[in-house]
Amino acid sequence: MIEHAYLIPLIPFFASFIMLFGGKEDPHSNMPWVGIAAMGVCLALSVSVFWGAVTGTVALPYEHNWHWFSIAASIAGRSFVYDMPVGVLIDGPAAVTLVAVTLVSLMVQVYSVAYMHGDVRFKRYFAFVSFFTAAMLGLVASSNLLVTFACWELMGLCSYLLIGFWFEREGPCEAQKKAFMTTKLGDSGLYLALLLIFAKVGSFQLSQIYQFFDKGLMPATIATVIGIGILAGAAGKSAQAPLFIWLPDAMEGPTPGSALIHAATMVAAGILLVSKTYFVFLASPTAMESAAWMGLITAFLAASMALVSYDIKRVLAFSTVSQLGFMMCALGAGGFTSGLFHMTTHAFFKALLFLGAGSVIHSVHTNDMRQMGGLSKKMPLTFLTMLIAVLAIAGVPGLSGYYSKDMILADVWNHDHLMFWILLCTALMTAFYMFRLFFLTFWGDDRDHEKFHHAHESPALITGPLVVLAVLSAFAGAGLNHDGLVHKLIPKPTISVMPGAAVAAPAHASEAKPEASAHQASTEHHDGHLPAWLHMTAIVLVLGSITLAFLMYRGPTYAAADAIKANLGPVFTLLDRRWYVDDFFYALVTVSDKVAALAFWIDANVVDRVFVDGWGLLMRIFAQISDAFDNLFVDSAVDGVGGLGNDLGVGLRSLVREGQVQEYLMYAAIAFSLAATLILTR
Amino acid sequence: MLSLIVWSPLVGALIVLMTPKEKVRAIQTVSFVAAGVALAASLTLLLNFDRGSAAMQFVERWMWIPSLNVQYLLGIDGLSYPLVLLTAFMSVIALVGSLGIKERVKEYFFWFLLLEVGMLGVFAALDLVLFYVFWELTLVPMYFLIGVWGGPKKEFAAIKFFLYTLSGSVFMLLSILALYFKSAPHTFDMLELMKPGVQSLFDPRFQILAFLGLYFGMAIKIPAFPFHTWLPLAHVEAPTPISVILAAVLLKMGVYGLLRIAYGITPLGFAWFLPALIVIAVINIVYGALCAMAQTDMKKMVAYSSVNHMGYCLLGIAGMSATGFSGAAFQMVNHGIITGALFLLVGVIYDRAHTRDVSAFGGLALKLPVYSGLMAMTCFASLGLPGLAGFISEFMCFLGAFSAWPWPTAISVVGIIATAAFFLRMMQKVFLGAFNEKWAGMEDMTARELISVMPLAVVTVWFGIAPKWPLDLMNKTIEHMLGK
Repeated sequence: MIEHAYLIPLIPFFASFIMLFGGKEDPHSNMPWVGIAAMGVCLALSVSVFWGAVTGTVALPYEHNWHWFSIAASIAGRSFVYDMPVGVLIDGPAAVTLVAVTLVSLMVQVYSVAYMHGDVRFKRYFAFVSFFTAAMLGLVASSNLLVTFACWELMGLCSYLLIGFWFEREGPCEAQKKAFMTTKLGDSGLYLALLLIFAKVGSFQLSQIYQFFDKGLMPATIATVIGIGILAGAAGKSAQAPLFIWLPDAMEGPTPGSALIHAATMVAAGILLVSKTYFVFLASPTAMESAAWMGLITAFLAASMALVSYDIKRVLAFSTVSQLGFMMCALGAGGFTSGLFHMTTHAFFKALLFLGAGSVIHSVHTNDMRQMGGLSKKMPLTFLTMLIAVLAIAGVPGLSGYYSKDMILADVWNHDHLMFWILLCTALMTAFYMFRLFFLTFWGDDRDHEKFHHAHESPALITGPLVVLAVLSAFAGAGLNHDGLVHKLIPKPTISVMPGAAVAAPAHASEAKPEASAHQASTEHHDGHLPAWLHMTAIVLVLGSITLAFLMYRGPTYAAADAIKANLGPVFTLLDRRWYVDDFFYALVTVSDKVAALAFWIDANVVDRVFVDGWGLLMRIFAQISDAFDNLFVDSAVDGVGGLGNDLGVGLRSLVREGQVQEYLMYAAIAFSLAATLILTR
Repeated sequence: MLSLIVWSPLVGALIVLMTPKEKVRAIQTVSFVAAGVALAASLTLLLNFDRGSAAMQFVERWMWIPSLNVQYLLGIDGLSYPLVLLTAFMSVIALVGSLGIKERVKEYFFWFLLLEVGMLGVFAALDLVLFYVFWELTLVPMYFLIGVWGGPKKEFAAIKFFLYTLSGSVFMLLSILALYFKSAPHTFDMLELMKPGVQSLFDPRFQILAFLGLYFGMAIKIPAFPFHTWLPLAHVEAPTPISVILAAVLLKMGVYGLLRIAYGITPLGFAWFLPALIVIAVINIVYGALCAMAQTDMKKMVAYSSVNHMGYCLLGIAGMSATGFSGAAFQMVNHGIITGALFLLVGVIYDRAHTRDVSAFGGLALKLPVYSGLMAMTCFASLGLPGLAGFISEFMCFLGAFSAWPWPTAISVVGIIATAAFFLRMMQKVFLGAFNEKWAGMEDMTARELISVMPLAVVTVWFGIAPKWPLDLMNKTIEHMLGK
C-alpha cells in the first residue's frame, strides 16, 4: 500500500476542487459527503501504512521521488542543473501523524455536517476543510523541503479562508488577516532558512540535506542560523511566543474549523517541521536550546493567560498554545519521541475538546462560561466525553495525555532541572484551568436560566465523533506507549558527526566514530524516566490542582476566584491583556503604516520632484548650451554650406526656441549624446 | 517566421487605417486577426524551437543600411522567446479588454497594433539600431494611448511618461553609438558585439560608461528606483488594456535589455555596477511595497506592486547566478500574467463603480463571488502563494541572489511581508465585511471580462503547479549566458 502513499494528500486535494466547483451552493448540499468519503479513503490508506510500520511489514523510511522541474544552479562555484524532485518520504513520525491527521479531519467533517448545516456557504466550508487537510498531509508526506514549504504556505491560505469564513462580520476579517500576517512574519525566517540550506547543500531533498548534516559538513554557526529561521517559521504556525497572538483570535471561525486548526493541521505543522529538520538542531546546540526555551516560555505564558479567561473557546485556544509549548520544549530538550508523541495524543483530545465546546455552544449559543453551568444534566454525552478529554489533557494517570506529558517531563528533567520545574508548574496550571472550564460549564447549577432551558444534547452526527475521539483520547496514549511502540515508531534521529569534527572526519574516520557513539550514548541516557519520588509528587500535585479548581468553581458562584482577582488586580490585568504582546504587534502595525505613509510622501514629494523636475531642469540647461553651440558653430557653418543647411539650422533653432518642452529635451539630448559620443570614441 | 510575427500587427494597423472609422466591428476584427496571426505564429515556433540549444534560432539577416553596417537582424533564444510569447499573448488579452473602448476606435486600434509591433520587435531584434527603432516605436503609440484614452490627468501622465522614457533612451542611443564606433569593424550586431574578439576592444572604463548609458535607458523602463515615479501616474491614467500592456510587456523591455545588451555586451560595466544594482533592487522591493501599502487607489497600489515585483527581477539579476537569471526571466513572464490580470480585474470594478478607492467598497464577495474569487486568487498569486505562478520565480530570484548578497536578500524578505499586508488589506476592505448597499445593483463579471481574465488565471495556476515547461524553454540559454 505504501507505494500509493502519494494518494493520501492528492485525494482530498481533488475532493476539495470537486466540492468547490461542482454543484450549486446549497445550504443542504450533499457535496460534503464527497470530502468525507475522500477522507475515509485517506484514513484507510494511512492506517494501512501505520499498521505496516507497527507490524514491521513495511520498511520505513520509504521514499519515492518524481521529477518536478529543473533549474540552473550554482553552489560555491559549481554549476549544475538541479532537478527539483517532488515526492513522498514516509518515516515513523509521518506514519503516525498521517493517521492522526486523517482521523481528526474525518471526525471534524462528519461533525460539521450537523454543525454547519444550513449555512449559506455550506459546501464551500467543506471544500476549505478538505484543502486544508490536503495541505497538511502534503506537508507531512513530502520528501522535499520546498514542497513542504509550499504546503505550509497553502495552509496559511486555508487558515485565512477558514478563520474568515463568516467574512460578513468584522471580527473574522480582522482575525484572518492577523493569522495570515503573523504566520507570514514567521515564514520569512523559514524562507531565509530555505535559501541558506540550498546555498550550502544545493538540494531541497530532505534525505540529501540530512546526509549533508550527517557528515558534519554544515558549519555550526550556519546550522544555528538555519535552526533559528526554522524556529521563526514554527513560531508563526505553531503559535509560539511571541507569535502566538493569532491563535486566540482564530476562534472567530466555525468551531469545528478551529478544531481542525488546533488539532490536526496548522499548529502541528510547526512542531512537525522542527521534527522533519531535527538534524539541523542536532548540529546546533544553540538552536536546540532556543527551541526549548521558546517552548517553555510559550507554555508558561499561555497557561497563565488561560487562567483568567471566561470564553470557553479562548481558554481552549490558550491551552493549545501552551501544549504546543510543551511539545516544542520537549523537542528542544532532546525529547524527539516525547514531543511527537504528545503531538499525536494532543491531536485527539484537543479535537475532542473543541468539538465538545462546539457542541455546548451549538446548544446554548454563547461562548461565555459565566452563562453556562450545570450542563451535565442536559448534555450527558458531551459531558462524559469532555470529562475524558479534560482528564487526558490534565495528565491524569491512565489517559493518553498522561503518558506523553510524563515522557516530556522526564526528558526535560534530564535536560535541565530549572526548565523542569517551570514546566511542572505549567502542567499544574493546565490541570487547574481545564477543570475550571469543565466545572464552570458542566457542574453545579445553571447560571443563565434562559440559556439552560433551551440547552439540549446534540444530534448523533455531533456526538458520534465525540465518542470516537473520546475513546482515542483515553486509550491512544497507553496503546502507543505499550511495549515501547512509540520509541520504535518515532525513534530519535542522530547525526554521526558533529559540525566541529567535520574537518577531521575524512582523514581520521576512526576518531570520529567514538564521538558519534558517545553522542548516541548520551541519547540513550535521555530516554530515562523521572525519579520515582518526583513522578509521584507530580501526580499528587496534578490531582491537587484539580481539587483546587473544584473547590473554587464547583458552585454557581465563584466568590473565591473573584476575591483573588480583586487582590491581584494588576496581575489579572496583565494576563487579561495577554502580557501586552498583542499591543506590541499592534504598535508594530501602526509604525509600519506610518513608515509606509512616509515612504509614499517621499516618493511623491522628493523622488518625483528631484528626478522629474530636476531632470527637466538639467535638460533645459543642455538645451541652452546646445542653443549657444548652435549660434556659434552651426550659424557660421551655414554660411559655408548654404541652402539645405540653412533651412535645417533655422528649423532646428525655431523648434528649440519656440517648441514645447519635449522637443527642447529631445534635441538637447541628441546634441548632448552626439557630443559625448565623439568624446568617448576619440 | 519572426518577421511574420513582428510585422503582422503592422499590416493590421495599416488595414485599420484604411478602414472607414464607422466600421467598428471591422476594425476590431482586423485587429484580432492581426494580433491573432502574431500569436499563432509565435506559438507555431514552439514546434521547432530547440530547447537544447543556447544559440539564436530562426535568425533572419539582411543588410539594411550597408554604409553604416546596419542589419535587419532578428532571432530568438530562451531569453527572448518567452517574452515574444508573452507579448503576443498579452496583446490578444488586452485586445479583448479593448472591446470596451467606445471613442475613436479606429485610432485606438491603430496605435495599439503599432505598439505591438514595437514590443515584439524589441524582443526579436538582434541589431542595436533595429532594437532602438523598435524601442522608440513603442513610445509614440503609448503616448497617444494614454494621452487620448486615459483618465482625468491623462495629458500630464502621457507627457511625463514620454519625456521620462525618451530622455532615458537618448542615453541608451549614446551608448549604442559608442559601442558602434569602438568596435572594429564597426557593427551594431549584438551577437558580434558579444564575441570575445570584439569584447577585447572594450576596456573596462569604456564598458562602465557604455553600461551606464544603457542602464539609464533601461532603468527608466524597468522602472528602477529612483526613476520609477512615472509609472504610478501612467498606470493610473492609462485605460485598462493599456495598463495591462504597460505592466505586462513594457516594463519587461527594460529587464530584457539589461540582460541581453547591458550584461551581454558590457559585462565588465555590469559587474562594476552590481553593488549599486543590489541596493536598487532592495529599495525597489522594500520601498515599492511600502509605497503600495500607503495607497487607497487600487490601481496605484497595483502599480507600486509592480515596482516591488520588478525589484525581484533586479534582485535575481544582481545575484549574477544561473538561478537568479532564470528567476528574473521567469518572474518577468509571471509578473506579466499576474499583474496583467490584476489590472484587468481592477478595470472591471472601475467600469462599474467609476471609483477605485478601496474604502468605497465592502463585502463585494457576497454579491460578486466570481469576481471576488478571481481577484483573491490573483492577489495571492501576486503575493507569492505557492501553487500559483509568482512563487517559484520569486523564490528563484531570492535563491539566485542569496549566495552573493546574503544581507540585502534577507532585507528584501521584508518586501514579501509588506506585499502580503497591502493585498490582504485591500481584499478586506473591498470584498469582506458588511456589504455596502450602495453597490446593490452591481453585476458579476460579464462574458467578455471572463474571456480576458480566465486565460491568465489558467496560466497562473499552470505555471504555479508545473513550472517545468516555461523553465525548460529558458534553461539552456541562461546557462550559456553565465557560462562564458
